[in-house]
Amino acid sequence: MRTFWYYLTIASVIWYSVVTLYVAFKGTFDIREMLENLRNRKH
Amino acid sequence: MPTLNPIDASIVGVYLLITMFAGLYVRKYVGKVEDFLVAGREMNVYLGIASLAATEFGIVTCMYAAQNGYKFGFAGATPGILYALSMLFVGMTGFVVKPLRDSGAMTIPEMIDKQFGERIRWASGIVIVLGGLLNMGVFLRIGGQFLLLVTGTEVSHVSIAGFDVPVLETMMTVLLLAVAVYTIFGGMLSVLVTDFLQFVIMSAGLIAVTILILSTIGWDALVSAVATTHGEGGFNPFVNAEMGFSYVLFNAFLSLAAVLTWQTNIARVLAAKDSKTGQQVYTRTAFFFVCRFLIPGIWGIAAIVVIGNVDNSLEAMPKMLAAIVPVGLMGILIAAMLAADMSTDSSYMLTWSSVIYNDILAPFRKGKAWSERTGLFINRSLVALIGIFLLFYGLWYPLEGDLWTYLGLTGTIYLASMSSILIAACYWKGANSWGAAAAIIISAALPVGYLVMEQLPETKDLAKAIGPHYSGIAAYVGSGLAMVIGSALKPKGGVK
Repeated sequence: MRTFWYYLTIASVIWYSVVTLYVAFKGTFDIREMLENLRNRKH
Repeated sequence: MPTLNPIDASIVGVYLLITMFAGLYVRKYVGKVEDFLVAGREMNVYLGIASLAATEFGIVTCMYAAQNGYKFGFAGATPGILYALSMLFVGMTGFVVKPLRDSGAMTIPEMIDKQFGERIRWASGIVIVLGGLLNMGVFLRIGGQFLLLVTGTEVSHVSIAGFDVPVLETMMTVLLLAVAVYTIFGGMLSVLVTDFLQFVIMSAGLIAVTILILSTIGWDALVSAVATTHGEGGFNPFVNAEMGFSYVLFNAFLSLAAVLTWQTNIARVLAAKDSKTGQQVYTRTAFFFVCRFLIPGIWGIAAIVVIGNVDNSLEAMPKMLAAIVPVGLMGILIAAMLAADMSTDSSYMLTWSSVIYNDILAPFRKGKAWSERTGLFINRSLVALIGIFLLFYGLWYPLEGDLWTYLGLTGTIYLASMSSILIAACYWKGANSWGAAAAIIISAALPVGYLVMEQLPETKDLAKAIGPHYSGIAAYVGSGLAMVIGSALKPKGGVK
């Protein structure tokens, strides 16, 4: 069980770091698109 | 007095300013109730992932997951693994969430209305709000406690201009006001945009502190502390004396039900562009729920090494952070935790107000629909009223036992019935309003009964003998059976 928790901890830190960077980058485009669609719908 | 360094205080101040500005800036896009409640259904995958992750990780999450790590060792992260598996299963198969999103409903009770009628919709709204608000009631106090401990604030009152001001209560009020302002004005739009910022800041802080712990304390010291304190039970939940099979089974039920019906999770599916996007948000966020328990769990285990024995296991982790986190990183950590807490509080306030507006108040606007302006005013007022409730409940309720179990049990008040009803609404044509009503009653009665028994001196021992896990399991099994038996008992052709 100790090996299982070791690899799960390493996987968590690596996965979380990569996903944070990726989502931070892609999410800005999502916000821009969402606000643009709402603006177009309003006019 | 608070011992926050000026550098740390500046980092926190800049974060708060940026968040408030972003939250208030997008309010101009809110023109209709749909914009306020589900962001005009314009949310895409990555914004959804950030928002779901930020919402589902608050200071309260960090505190209970760390408490689990401190009390149970690595085995304390078991609920996170079960949650991730449930989310992956639902995201990949579209189980319940696909028909729910395709129905076009804005809340779960609205979907329920289609098969079980208005009365069940109304009753569903009541239990969802009851369970949700009881659950959320402890968030503010826990958040305030964390901030006081991590900054090393040891006094309970400070004197300002001759007035004796309580520190914890003032901290809770300031936290709530900051969140309430942008949630009231911008609704789901502000929540999504601030959640995104908060996700980035929160994640940076969580990762940095975890790397600091692993590099300074070391993996071997953490494993050794768990082995010494908990033995094999610190690694395997099934052999842990305080966990065992009942803990794992209760958490398996809880995880699946929460993934299917927890209003803050489902709000992301309902705000998604389509059901495919909603499923993608679930699939791609699944592993986050392992991190959500394991990363603070590691912090809790680190507290065993750094702090040792403490009277209140909830306080071990913040005290450990106060001891090891250096200036600069402390500012990032506090900003991260504030971000985590604000994103959770704003989403929770909005989501319960949406159920009150959409479902509990539905009978009052029957026949004459409210204008968008009136609808927005009512929604904003509801968010403010929920904020006031949270403040008073947080001050009054004394938390017994461990935090995760309290949250699981209060959540079960509605999770058990809503999951049975929602599954039946999506896949069983024979289900009817009698079954739904029976499921709601059983699901609410068992956990509420247990919580009351826990507080009364006469029944305290009996509650202890039953334990929260069996009480929770009984609610899930009982509500499923009630759904089936109630539906079978209703005469054919009877009034819906």
